[in-house]
Parts: sequence; structure tokens; C-alpha cells
Amino acid sequence: MSPENVSALILSLRVATVATLLNAAVGIPLAYLLARRTFRARWLVDLLVTLPLVLPPTVTGYYLIVLLGRRGWLGAPLYGLTGWSVAFTWYAAVIAAAVMALPLLVRTTRAAIESVDRDLERAAFTLGHSEWRTAIEVTLPLARNGILAGLVLAFARALGEFGATLMLAGNIPGRTTTVPLAIYTAVQTGESSEALVLVAALTVISCVVIFLAGRLGTKTT
Amino acid sequence: MSERVEVQIQLALNGFTLDVAWTAGDGVSVLFGPSGSGKTLTLQCLAGLVRPEAGRIVVDGRVLFDSAAGIHVPPQERRLGYVFQGYALFPHLTVRANVAFGLRRRPLAERDQRTAEVIERLGLVGLEGRYPRELSGGQRQRVALGRALAIEPALVLLDEPLSALDLPLRRALRDELQAILADWRMPAVLVTHDFSEAYQLGDRVVIYEAGRVRQAAPRGDLLWRPASESVARILGVRNLLRGTVMEVCPTHLRVAWRGQELEVRTPPDRLPPPSAGSAVTFFVRPEDLRLIRKDGPPPDRAHHTNILSGRVVRETDRGVTWTLMVRLEAAGEPAQGSFDLEIDVPRFVYEMLRIERERSWQFSIHRGSLHILPD
Repeated sequence: MSPENVSALILSLRVATVATLLNAAVGIPLAYLLARRTFRARWLVDLLVTLPLVLPPTVTGYYLIVLLGRRGWLGAPLYGLTGWSVAFTWYAAVIAAAVMALPLLVRTTRAAIESVDRDLERAAFTLGHSEWRTAIEVTLPLARNGILAGLVLAFARALGEFGATLMLAGNIPGRTTTVPLAIYTAVQTGESSEALVLVAALTVISCVVIFLAGRLGTKTT
Repeated sequence: MSERVEVQIQLALNGFTLDVAWTAGDGVSVLFGPSGSGKTLTLQCLAGLVRPEAGRIVVDGRVLFDSAAGIHVPPQERRLGYVFQGYALFPHLTVRANVAFGLRRRPLAERDQRTAEVIERLGLVGLEGRYPRELSGGQRQRVALGRALAIEPALVLLDEPLSALDLPLRRALRDELQAILADWRMPAVLVTHDFSEAYQLGDRVVIYEAGRVRQAAPRGDLLWRPASESVARILGVRNLLRGTVMEVCPTHLRVAWRGQELEVRTPPDRLPPPSAGSAVTFFVRPEDLRLIRKDGPPPDRAHHTNILSGRVVRETDRGVTWTLMVRLEAAGEPAQGSFDLEIDVPRFVYEMLRIERERSWQFSIHRGSLHILPD
């Protein structure tokens, strides 16, 4: 494997891991809120979270540029303040991957939480546990398999992210060229043997992920 | 006697209106009624899981909810033990952890001691490390009770604790539940739609229908003195009949029904008694109708009042008893569709009297067995 491919693979794994951790921190509480609370903006939150699943990735990427680019709604103040922009860094690849993978995690986790018997939570309330403690000690442990399956799927999605990453992070070898981008570049420049190695690597990883997700999905506590 | 529980709830939820008020003392109070009548919702309001729109809930002198004063104590602070339908044991926790679940805020030593005490007292020793799925139905019930009792609740709430079980187990667990509640001297509110369960377990029964209380009474009163025809229907009272008072005598009434004249003891709790000419609803339990043997001497008028004759038009084998649907010989529309009265006879009587072939019978109803319902 060429050094470029090795660095692409390491970058991809790093981006997908960080994106998945980020998603766990954001997505699990979000899924809990969507599953267990009724609030006025719920439909909006649900819509925004689900949208990346439906939109073409380049469109999601475009919105991310509008939001985070050097002249974006959030990006411009940040650039003005620090002289730094997230665009075209590996952080941008993380953000793009996280946004694209979030719907998978939230939907899977939400379904898992909704399947937990509410009487178990009510029982915890009558036994003196706050909603927070009940979530930590009852709801989330019982939804564990669904949450883990969601994390595995989100990781796989993050690993394969292409369109939104290209838009926000670009294709800078060694910095933002993840495996899917490297495959694209290799094919474009006629280095099909280089592409083949990466294709094989992603295929193997994906198979492992499907296997893991399947096992987690069927196992019951 | 001061009341231990005072409930007054008004709540409209998804097109259903709950509007109830009742009180309960020591012992077990049963909320009884058809499904969807608001019993469980009442329990959830008591526990603070659902907030009523208006009303007041007081347990042991402690105000848990008062809409006028703006009080709504959260479920975490009510200290009421709730035994859920299907028990709702935490499947990922052991028996010990389930029982100890409500003791989190207590010092560790006290928590361990209390948990061990409850486990011991409920006969769960040796099962501490098991998970709920590894327990029998009876053990699960005891863990659910133990978890609720461990927090030393002011009151235990039980939501259809036996409904998910098969009949033989249900009988056994009903006895066990009764023994445990008596042993812990724990006041309880229990929800059920099974009348035999309500009768056995309840010192007092509150009858629910369509979000309203129809009657609240000591259990004995229900069997013999339902407060109204609708209560009688909820209780599944058979042979519910309508007649007209013809004459009021000092000790009894003469009531016209189906072209017959029945002598009925004056209801003791009804003052003034129904006047002549007024319509009354009354019932006679199928087991209180007495067949008159054909091979014996003619019926003694001092012993048998209200002698009627009829034909068995249909019958049902209920195992230990047979139910005979009897139509009177007298002309006219039968009182209950195709028949006038249901008579329950023990199986051995059915066989001994050859009722299978002998279809025409005389039977009597003691005047004390005819119960007139309040208006």
C-alpha cells in the first residue's frame, strides 16, 4: 500500500471515530428527547436531523459551507475573531461525516428508546429516581443494543462519507483526503490498482460492520 | 375513623373524562370496574405520574396534590409503592438490585440491611443474584412487592397485579398477595376488573364505570345491596328483573312480575319503602332458586314461598354446576329474551333429578332471596 493510501486510511478511521464520538454525545440525548419528550419544536428538530438522510450529500455540504465557510453565518465571525476557518481542515471532514451519519444514529437510538417499557421508567420515578437518573440507570441500559447498533451504522456511514466532505473539507492529500476521496482521485488519474486496494479495505470494514450491527440488533438483554 | 386516603380527581384526557371522589381507610381498597373506566388513571394520579386538572389528593394527612393551592408533589417524593401490571421489574438488574432500587439515597449500610430484611421476609433468600427472567411468576410478584415495600411507603398501589397470570397460578398468588399485605399491615389500593379478586382482597370496594364512581362500600354490601341497577350490571348480577309493587304489608311487599305475584321482604335499608303502584328493579341469585322434588310430598307453604312452574328451554354445563334457563308456564313475553330465570343447580342434583330428561319443574324463591334495588 502506498504511503498516500496508508495516510488516507488512517485519516478516514480517525475522522470516522471522532465523528462517531461527537454523534454519541449529541445524538443520544437528541434521540432521548425525541422519544420521550413532547415540545413544540420537536417536528423541526426531527426534520433537521433527518434531512441529511434524504438530501444529496452535495446539498448538505453546500449548507455546511453556508454555515461554516470563511464567509458563512458562523464561519465569518469565527474567522474575524481568530483568523482561522474550519473549512478545508480535517475538522471539516469530521463535521461533514458527523452530520451525514447523525440521522442513522438518532433514528436507531430513538426506536430503541421507544421500545423500552414506559412502566419501567414510571417504576423508577415512584422509587425516587429523577428523569436523568432513570435515563442513565434504566432507559439507556435497556436500549443499549439499539444504541450500539446505531453507533456502528453511524461509524460506517462516516467512514464512507464523500459528497459533503468534498464540499466542506476539499480533497487535500494528507490533510482531508479520506479513503472515498482517495479512491475517486485514483480512478480519475488512472491508478486503478491503487483504487482497488482501498476498495477492498472499505469493503472488508463494511462487512465487519454489517456483521456487528446484525449481532447487536438480534441480541436481547 | 380518620381516612387514610382522600381522592378527588377531575381530568380530561384524549376524549375520556375522569371525575371521581372517594376515601379509604386502613386495609385494602379495591377499585373495580370494566377496563377503560379510569381505574389505572386514578392510580397514576395518586402516584403523581399523571397530573389531574383539578382536585385534591391526601394520603395520611399529607397533601400530595391540590389544584386550588397549586400543590403537585412529584412522584419521586410521594413515597407510594407502585406495583405495576406485569410487575415492571428491571430486566437488567438482579433481584437484590431491584429491591434496593428505591433506597439509593440511604446510607450504604442501611440500604444493605433493609434490602436483606425485605428479601428475607418475602422468602426470596437464595434468589438475590437472579434476574427477573429467571424467576417464576410467584417470585416475580414477591420481588415487585418487595421493591415497592422496601421504601416503607405510606400506601401501596397495585395495578391489576394478577391479570397476566394463568388461572391456577392466579388463585395461588391472590392468596399470597393477601397474606403479604396483611403481614405487612400495609394499606393498599388495588385495581382489578375481576370481581372475585375484588371481593377476596378488598375490605372496601369502589366501583368505577366510565370515569365515575358508581358505588363505594364495604365488600359485603356489594353482593347483597348494589347501589343501583348499573352497579348490579357491572357486578354481573344475573336475573335482574322489573316488576310493580301491588301492596305494601308491614313485613313484605307484593310485587307483580310476569303475571305472577311475588312476596318480597321489605328492603331494610330503604326508607320509606316503595309505595304501591311504583316500579321496582330486583334480582334473585340463580343459586337461590330451589327446585321442588316431584317424588316428595307437596310443597309446604310455610317453607316455600313464591312457587312458580316453568320449563327448561336451554342449559349450560359449567362443570361443577349446571345453569338452567327456565321459561315460566304463564303466557306472555319472557323476562330475559327467550327465558325468564336462570337457575344454578349443582351437578349431582342435575344428575339425581334427571334434569336432562325431566324438563318441567316447580320451584320456589324465598322472599328473603328477592333483593330490591334502590331507584
